[in-house]
Formats: sequence, C-alpha cells, structure tokens
Amino acid sequence: MNLFFIILLILFSSAILAFISNRIVRGSSGIIAFIGITAASILFFTRLSIGNTYSFTLGGIQMQFGLNSFTYLFAIIVLGLGVLASLYSIQYMKGKERLGYFYFNFVLTILGMVGIIFSQDFITFFIFWEIMTWSSYLIVIYNGYSSSKVGIKYMIFSALGAYAMLTAIVSIKGIYGTFMIKDAIAAGAFNFTDHFYIPILLLIGFAVKAALMPLHVWAPKSYSMSPMSFTAIFSGAMSKMGILGMGLVLTSIYSHASPEVSVYSLILKQVLGWLGGITAVMATIYALIQTDAKKLLAYSSIAQLGYIVVGLSTGTKLGVMAALFLAVVHAIFKGTLFMVAGAVERQAGTTDMTKVSGLIRKMPYTFFAALLSIIALAGVPPLGGFVGKWMLYESLITESNNYFLVIVVFFSSTAAFLYSYRFLFGLFLGQEEKETEHVKEAPLTMVIPMLILALLLIVTGLYPGILFEPIAHGMEYLGYSHVNWDMSVLTNIWGEQTNMSYIFSLIGIVFVVVFIFITLKGYKGTRNVGTKEISTSGEIPLEHENLTYQMDFFKPFERAAAPLYKRSMNKIWNDIGNALEAVFNFTRKIYTGNGQTYALFVIIFLVILLIFKDSLFAN
Amino acid sequence: MVITPIHYIVVPLLAAFAIPLLVKIHKELPRIIPGLVMFYNIIISIVLMQQVNEFGYVSEVIAGWKAPWGINLIITPFSGFLVSLISFMGFVIWLYQYRFKKVIDVGELKSYGILQMMMITGAIGIIITGDIFNMFVFLEIVAITAISLTSFYRHRDGAEAGFKYLLIGGFSSTLILLAILLLYTQVGTLNMAEISERMHLVPQGMKATILVLFIIGFGIEAEMFPLNGWAPDAYSQAPGPTSAAFAGIVVKAGVYGLIRIIFTLFDIEGAFDFLIIAGLVTMIIAEFSALKQTNLKRMLAYSSIGQMGLVMIAFGIGTKAAVFAALFLMFNHAVIKSLLFMSGSILMYNSKDKTISTLSGMGKKLPFISLLFSLGAFAIVGLPPFSGFWSKLYVLTAAANQEMILLIGAILAVSIVEIVYYFRVVSKMYFAEETEHIAIFKPSINAKIAMGILGAIILIIGLYPDLITGYLHNAADMILDKASYIDFVLNSNAPVQ
Repeated sequence: MNLFFIILLILFSSAILAFISNRIVRGSSGIIAFIGITAASILFFTRLSIGNTYSFTLGGIQMQFGLNSFTYLFAIIVLGLGVLASLYSIQYMKGKERLGYFYFNFVLTILGMVGIIFSQDFITFFIFWEIMTWSSYLIVIYNGYSSSKVGIKYMIFSALGAYAMLTAIVSIKGIYGTFMIKDAIAAGAFNFTDHFYIPILLLIGFAVKAALMPLHVWAPKSYSMSPMSFTAIFSGAMSKMGILGMGLVLTSIYSHASPEVSVYSLILKQVLGWLGGITAVMATIYALIQTDAKKLLAYSSIAQLGYIVVGLSTGTKLGVMAALFLAVVHAIFKGTLFMVAGAVERQAGTTDMTKVSGLIRKMPYTFFAALLSIIALAGVPPLGGFVGKWMLYESLITESNNYFLVIVVFFSSTAAFLYSYRFLFGLFLGQEEKETEHVKEAPLTMVIPMLILALLLIVTGLYPGILFEPIAHGMEYLGYSHVNWDMSVLTNIWGEQTNMSYIFSLIGIVFVVVFIFITLKGYKGTRNVGTKEISTSGEIPLEHENLTYQMDFFKPFERAAAPLYKRSMNKIWNDIGNALEAVFNFTRKIYTGNGQTYALFVIIFLVILLIFKDSLFAN
Repeated sequence: MVITPIHYIVVPLLAAFAIPLLVKIHKELPRIIPGLVMFYNIIISIVLMQQVNEFGYVSEVIAGWKAPWGINLIITPFSGFLVSLISFMGFVIWLYQYRFKKVIDVGELKSYGILQMMMITGAIGIIITGDIFNMFVFLEIVAITAISLTSFYRHRDGAEAGFKYLLIGGFSSTLILLAILLLYTQVGTLNMAEISERMHLVPQGMKATILVLFIIGFGIEAEMFPLNGWAPDAYSQAPGPTSAAFAGIVVKAGVYGLIRIIFTLFDIEGAFDFLIIAGLVTMIIAEFSALKQTNLKRMLAYSSIGQMGLVMIAFGIGTKAAVFAALFLMFNHAVIKSLLFMSGSILMYNSKDKTISTLSGMGKKLPFISLLFSLGAFAIVGLPPFSGFWSKLYVLTAAANQEMILLIGAILAVSIVEIVYYFRVVSKMYFAEETEHIAIFKPSINAKIAMGILGAIILIIGLYPDLITGYLHNAADMILDKASYIDFVLNSNAPVQ
C-alpha cells in the first residue's frame, strides 16, 4: 500500500479509535490522538520525500497524491503544530465532556489538512478541504449551544468559499478538461485571458479560510469560542491552507500572465494588497478594544493574515518570501499564544483580562513563552517576526513602490504594539488579584509544547535560513528562479547586510545588562502592591470595584477611533442575512396549506403551459 | 422455476390477497409476509440484473401477445437499476417498520402491510412496463395506496393531507389519461416503443399539447413546482416508514415516468430546457421554504422536493454525463432521504410537539439515531467523503461541460441554504440543553439494523463510488439510446422468456 494512504489511514484510524476509546477508558482519546498524529508525522518526515507521487482513479476521476516543495512547507506547519497541539491538548481537555467527539474531529481536521497538502488534483483537494471544514465546524460548536450560531456562521462562510472554489474547479474541468492542478496551471486556467472568473472564484474560496476582509466575519468568534488547543491549529495551521491556495493561484497568475492581460493582474495586485492592508488595520483596531485575551488573539490573527496576503499580493520574490516566512512564524507564535491563553483559561478559570492579572509569578514558563511570542508578533528584533516584517517592508518599498500600502501596514504594525502590550500586561503583569492567588503553573505537557514553540521563535530569529531553505525550494517549485537566501544574513537591494546573529547577540547583551541593572537597583525597596492598596485622589476604593490595570485600558484611543467601530462588516452581512430571511419567509408562504390553492396552482400551470406550448416545446 | 419480470407483479399481488386469509393462521404473518415478498424482489432483481448484463435487456411477453399487440415487461439497464433500487429500499423499509408500532391492531396492520406492498409493486410496475396504458394503471395503484397510507393515522391532519393528495392526484390521473387518449388517437398504439417510432407522424401542436398533459400529470408525482403542494403535507402526515417510501420509491417512479416520456416518447428539444427551468424553480423554492419550517418531517419533505428539482435539472442538461449524475442523485436521494425520514421520525416521535426546537438533547438520549441523522444530513448537503458529494460533483461537472456557470452558482447557493437548515437541526440535537424530560421510546433492533445498512451504504459509496458507477453508466447509456430500446421491444429476437 502506498505511503500516502498509510499516513492518511493512520490518521483516520486514530480518529476513529479516539472516538471509540473514550467510551472504554475515559480520557484515553487525547493520548491516542497524540500518538496517531505523531506516528503520521514521523512517517511523513522520515519516509516521504519531495517528488513522490501516486496516481489512482476514484469515481472515474483521475486523482493524484504527491508532495512538492511548496506544500512541504505547509506540511511542516500542520504536522509540527499538530503534534505539539495534540500533546498540549491532553491536559488542557482533561475532564471535559465528549472527548471522543472532540478528538475525532481534531484528528480529522489534521487529516483534512494533510490531505490538502498531498493533493495534486482539485478533486482530492476539495474533498479534504471539506473534511477539514466540517470537522472544524463540529469543534467550533463543541462548547455548547450558545456557540452554534457562531458555528453556523463559520459554516456558511466556509461553504460560500468552498462552493466558489468548486464552481471554479468544475469550470476548469469543463473548459480545460482536467482536474490536475499542474495541468490546469500549464493550460493557463488562471491567467485571466477569457475565463477571468476562475481565479477570482478560487481566490474567494481561499480568502475565506485566510480570513480576508470582507469574508473574515466568522473568524473572531470561531477562533475564540473553540477550545484553545484546537484554536492553536485552527488559527495557526488551518488559516495557512488559505494562504497555500492563494500562493498557488497568485504566483501562477503573475508568472503566466501574458502582456495584454497584465493590467488585470495589476489591478488584482492592488485590490488584494489593499484588502490585506485594510484587514490588517481593521483587525488590529478591533483587537485593541478586546478585554478577552482570546478575542484579542483572534483579531490579531486576522491582522497577521492580512500582512501575509499583502506579501503574497506583491508577487515579487521578496514579497512572497516574506509572506511565506511570516506564515510559518505566525503559525508558531500564534499557536503558542493560543496555548498560553488556554493555559491561563485552565489555571485561572478565565481569560478576561479585567479579571486576571499578575500571573507572572504563578505561571513563569507560560509567561516566558508568551513574552517571546509577543515579541515575535510585534515584529521586534531579534525574533522571527522581525525578519518577516523586515522583508515585507523592504519588498513593498523597493519593489512594488506601493508607499500608501506601506504606511497602512506600518500603522497596523505599530498599533499591534498596543494590543501586544495589553495582552502581556493584562494577563501576566500588574498587581496580583486575590482571585488568582490559587493559580499554579500549567501541567508539564502543556508547558513543554509552548516552550518548544517559543524556542523555535528564537531559532528562526537567529537563523532565519532554516526557514528560508524550504521556502526558497517551494518558491522555485512555483516558478521563481534563483531565490537567494542566507542562513542568518538579510541583504537588501543596496547590498547592505544585516547579520541576525549579530543583532541577536547585541540585543541579548543589552537585555541581560538592563535586566541585571534593574534587578540590582530595584531589589531592595520594592514590595508587592495589591490593587486595593492604591487610593486615587484620596479616595479609598470599594471592595467590589474593579481596579485591575485593564479597566478602561486605551480608553482615549477607543474614543478617538469610535467612528471606525460603528460600521462593521458584521452588520452588513447581518443585513444581507435578514433580507434573505425575508425572502425565505415569503417563499414559504407560497405553500399555503390550502388544498384549493394547490389545485389552482395546477390549473394555472396547465393553462400557462398550454398557452405557451408552441414556444416552449418547438422542435 | 425461472425468474422473470412478471414475478415483480404477481408475487406481491398474490401475497396481498393471501394476507387476509393468512392472518387467521397466525397474527404475525401480516408483518412477515411483506418482508418475504420484498426479499424475493431483491432476488429477482439480482437474477434479472445478471441477465441484463449478459444480454443487454430482458423482456417478457405476457400471455403470448407479442409487442406491439400485448403488454410486455422490459428490463433494461436503466429500468433494471431503478427496480433494483426500489426493491432494495422496499426491503430496508420493511425491515425498519417490522416492529414499528407494536400496539397497532391486527386489522390496521393487515391493511398497512398490504398497502405498503402494493405501493411498491405499483412503483415497480410503472418502471418495467412497456405499455403506456399499463403504466397509467400502475400509477393509479401507487396513487391510491399512497393516498390511503397518507391518511393512515385517522386523525384530522392525516385526513386533510390525504384529501389534498387525492385532489391533486386526481388531476394527475385525469391529465395522464387524457394524454394517453390523445396519443392513441394520433398514433394508434399504446406500446411505448411503437409510439416513439411513430411520433414523427404527430403534428407539432398536438405533440406539444400531449407533452404538456404528460408533464403536468407526471410532474405532480415527481413533485415539480408548482404541482407539489400535496407533498409536504403527505410526507409529514404519513407514518414514518411511508414517508421514507415516498422519498425512496414513489417519487422515483414519478420521475421515471417523466423521463421516459421526455426521453423516449418525444423528441422535443425544448423539453430539456423546460426541465432545467422547472427543476431550478422547484429546487430554489422548496429549499427556501425548508429553511423556515419548524416541523422536522415537513423540513425533510421540502428538502426532498428540492432534491427532486436537482434531479430534474440534471436530466434536463441531457448529456450522458448529466443523466449519469441524475441517476446517481436518484440513488443517493433514495438512500439518504429514506435514512433521514427513518431516523427523523423516531426523533420526532420522541420529541414533545414534533418541532425542531424540541429536539434538544436527543444526541444523548438517542445517540445512534442522532448519529445516523447527522450522517444523513452531512451526506445530503453533499459534504465529502459521503455519497451525496459525488452525485453533486457529477451534476456540477456535467453542467460545467455545457458551460452553464449560472446554473452551477444557483445549485451551490441553494446548497448553502441546505447546510444552514440541516446543521441547525444537528447542532440542536447535540448541543442544546435538554429542556424537558420525556420518556424515550427506544427504536427496535431491526429498525436500527435497517438504518445502519443505509448509513453504511452512504459511507461505502462515499469512499468508493466505483461500486455503482458502472451500473449507472450503463443505465445512462440506455436512456439516451432510444433506437435500441425500440429495437429491443419490437424486434425482440434476443432471449424472450
């Protein structure tokens, strides 16, 4: 049997086993899921190599599994994050209900993503895409009926995207006679010549998963409502499936566009770039005002995906490289951050930042992981996030001359500092609250995945070349030639070089010195101050007053940005939904429930047909 | 004994007459005998399908009167496929209903068994007969039994639904009879193959009139909009197994009639476009209405109508790929919608007031049934890797081959609506807190087996569709190949039994 099938079969059977085993031994599903995903990953990374393919026929359709260097990059994200998140999940989900159900869908989601990575033809791609979608839908609604509305919204948008994609897929089959992705690209299915709707529909399909404006409205709540061990994958890996598809379509549009249609691809570049930019800005602004850490992270995810889309939309070598680099790094740090939020949720009972604070002493390792990922998220040197953003800015400034977009991205990136700060400060710093006194560090199996990911952030910052190598191979597969990279040196077009290890050691030294200085200086004469010990303007706060640092955080900013919050995309979609409801209600009334009316319908229909019979049924 | 197509008709008829006598011997016999008959139907189907594979078709001349003089029964790959499907569904439905309503008294049980069996026989008869008047007779059998079954529970709603069905069904019979009369005056024969051969002699205007009458007549049975007013009431008021039989069997026969008329009897191009438009309207209106239903069985009924709309669209596209897709859809619809009706009516039976909102907590109380309902829901909206996906994919591919991009868009937009109302039920079942505690009526083991079989088919076909695509391709070839149908029937020099 073929290795592709074996990997998928391992995942499938561990999903089934996880479903059944919880009825036999409570809590065993998590371990089975972990073992299954790990086994599949080991097999994948040791036995499968780039270039392997396997063709088969199903339902009269030629299908092919394969692995190329572009999808390999995403396999690293999916399987790496999958293993760690499933390890994390064992303790995180401990004692919850319906574990069998949860892990069944958890593993199926990963199976779906692995399948997408394997697919070399549109039909298997679509099949696994849908498996991924419905299994993740089932997890979104896991947290009870209150989340079913969120789930339905997710499912509607996913279906919208998936069906846009399916329309494009069957059109490709109808026009070019092939389901193979490679053949379709070679036949020029994506290059706007006469069937411009095909790439557009495909991009819509992928944009939904990548949470791009205006198709992002499902994301904030779906991300924050799912169990955190799943959101780590949901936001970290699954959104990258959208990026995978977009990367595939966009690069083939750009590289195969003939001169006479290049104006369309220029427009597309602008539109996508701006959509990405606006997504980044708006999501950042929304992230700022969240008081729930999970929602903050959810909005931040959308913003980060916006950057990635901006990078992809440039289509230049550097831009795409930046986007792919950011995609990997985002998977790492956002995976970590959602795990951190999950750890806080499990240990402190809530992730509401106005209720929890000062966890740094209670959960030092979690804090460490959070700190590193926040640094990466904000794009501060020396961690991985910096490298990605650096390249993104450089490509926008030097290659696409899109200065306004640079300003937009830069604004959102700066504003991201604010919410990063809020997250870090809200949960971990500030004064300790009485309610959080009992909190302890998360269990070992939850801390280890977070720390591994945090260390990866250091590594990717220090030696970004580790990621550049697979990215460069992937881009060469997509048709870019001579993708240059260095292990730890960034080079710009003017030939100036930035050595990451130099920066890293410099910042490291500064950090250590300052740390020692502050510790020495502040060691004596400091004491812990509780929130209630502060008196403001001579007033002594009441016992029930919430005085955590997070109350009315960024209030002036919120006031200043108030007009921006008024019109949300959500409202527009809701209006569309309501209008449709009205239509449905109207059509329902056609069926009056009255026998005479139905008889009348039959007669009227008969008469109409008889009148128009000659024009309807002419030879 | 040699098995021939006539066994489909004769055995159930004999059994139906025998049941009132046999009930005197043992009370359980009216329950068991229909099952034996249905099982025998499956055996006939297997034997005949083998012969069809061997010779291309099987035809039976009744009482020595050769076509076109006498009535003959013809099994082609197309009708053979449908008959096998109906036989199989009939058996599964019998298995499901075997212990359904234990309390029912013998008189009712007797009539229920007979009616259900006759309905299935009628549906099979419609499909295998080669004579158009004979077809009408079988259609009448189906209509009468279906109407009786609709109002089987003698309460107000059932009677009302039965009356509506009777009213609309009356139109159906009258118009078909009228069409047959007109046709007979024009071509002077009732044999469908011969009619088809002589069709070019009929003047254009008359041809169109006859076609309109047929379309309305069979359209009522095939649930075409706006002729389907009877359907939601009938589906929701009929006993659970009967609703499943409506979806799995009766509608199939109606669609067969429509397709046989349009594809074999007439050669009018416009009819295909008409089918697409009628199917599209049917599908859109039915699915939109389904979204707003509060009663689960009504919702399933509207969904069923919508699916038939899709089948009509697929037939209307008219290419071989599209006909293949339409047959696949019919197969899936029979299996999946029957499963949904079976599990749905158990869920309904256990809910307080038969509305979707009282389904809360069923996932815990009836885990197996809820799981199967969810499986059916996932399959019917066309999510992979379940069987519904393939049929939808084939329909879309067929439409794409004709560059009907807007049609694809409409089908998929409607699918989103479908997702919304099915997933609403699923999430209600599993994730809503149980509101009231109701004593649960557990389904019997045979019902579980019946539903399990259908669930397994959904999964197996979903993972490996090649199991049936071969038969479907043969059937699709057959529908489109009018000449060889005529040849089979009229110049039957191949094996006649």
